[in-house]
Amino acid sequence: MRRLLSFLALLFFASSPALAQTLTLSLSPTVITFPSSDPDTVPLISAPPVQITYRIRANGNSPWSLTVLAAGDLIAGASRIDISNVTWVATPAPPFQNGTLSKTVAQRVASGNGNVNPDTLGSITFRLANSWTYNPGSYTQTVLFTLSAP
Amino acid sequence: MRGPGFASAARPAFPMRVTGPILFLILVVAAGRVPAAQTSTATLNASVNSVARLSLSSAALTFPDADPDTVPSVQASQGPITVTAKARTSPNGAITLTVRATDDLRSGVNTIPASNITWVASGAGFGNGTLSATTAQAVATWTGSGVRTGTQNFFFRNVWSYATGTYTLTITYTLSAA
Repeated sequence: MRRLLSFLALLFFASSPALAQTLTLSLSPTVITFPSSDPDTVPLISAPPVQITYRIRANGNSPWSLTVLAAGDLIAGASRIDISNVTWVATPAPPFQNGTLSKTVAQRVASGNGNVNPDTLGSITFRLANSWTYNPGSYTQTVLFTLSAP
Repeated sequence: MRGPGFASAARPAFPMRVTGPILFLILVVAAGRVPAAQTSTATLNASVNSVARLSLSSAALTFPDADPDTVPSVQASQGPITVTAKARTSPNGAITLTVRATDDLRSGVNTIPASNITWVASGAGFGNGTLSATTAQAVATWTGSGVRTGTQNFFFRNVWSYATGTYTLTITYTLSAA
């Protein structure tokens, strides 16, 4: 009986790619700053690029994805800037893709199938659409990156 | 002396040695159904400073010579000038646009009071007015950040009492945000 159970466990282990998935994700830097700029001369403010380091192991041929979700709009006291004014350009493409931040639906940053091993780098540059309608202030918000494999 | 039946009844249905693999299998099954995910958080910071910009469609206004009887109010030959004011201020902050003449109209020793120049304005927040060499006159007022556009159509009051000559003056616009 022991041998049978061990065999079944081994069989399940071998046939289930999600079984021992190991995902690692890190960002650098984790603070992304948009400097103040004249909307006429700098209509699109670029923050310094963020390096994304990721690795996906034991994923078989299953899909994986990296998404980003903002916790809300950019806020400075009573003033706010809709988070949809923040877009990004990501490389390399594929697996990375450009997009627009959302506070309601996680947006795909990268996707693929199988494993990504060893550690692999991507770059994402966030951009803020500059406008005369913004109120002066120091705005802030957090964004959550999620690397997942079903 | 124990018989075979006694020995058999004392043993559990499964020996303890196989409990480990069973639990392992249960854990494996559970783990295989849970999606794997790794998260990382970043903070977005954006600095927005106060800034204002004013632009005029023309930097010069010319009033042509005319007969005071037939043209008592001479329109600037440029026609209405377009004023574009851009400013960032607090949510309820006031933005004001003023204009002031640096002096009266002068042609050598002859002068014509700046108050002989008036304007008719159009556009939200804009108002009509009269130039002054002593006090800045309001051209427009608004509340909050944004871009506003309007026009000023300048007129020169034409009278017989003026000495002949070519008169000039400079006017200064000031756009300010509270």
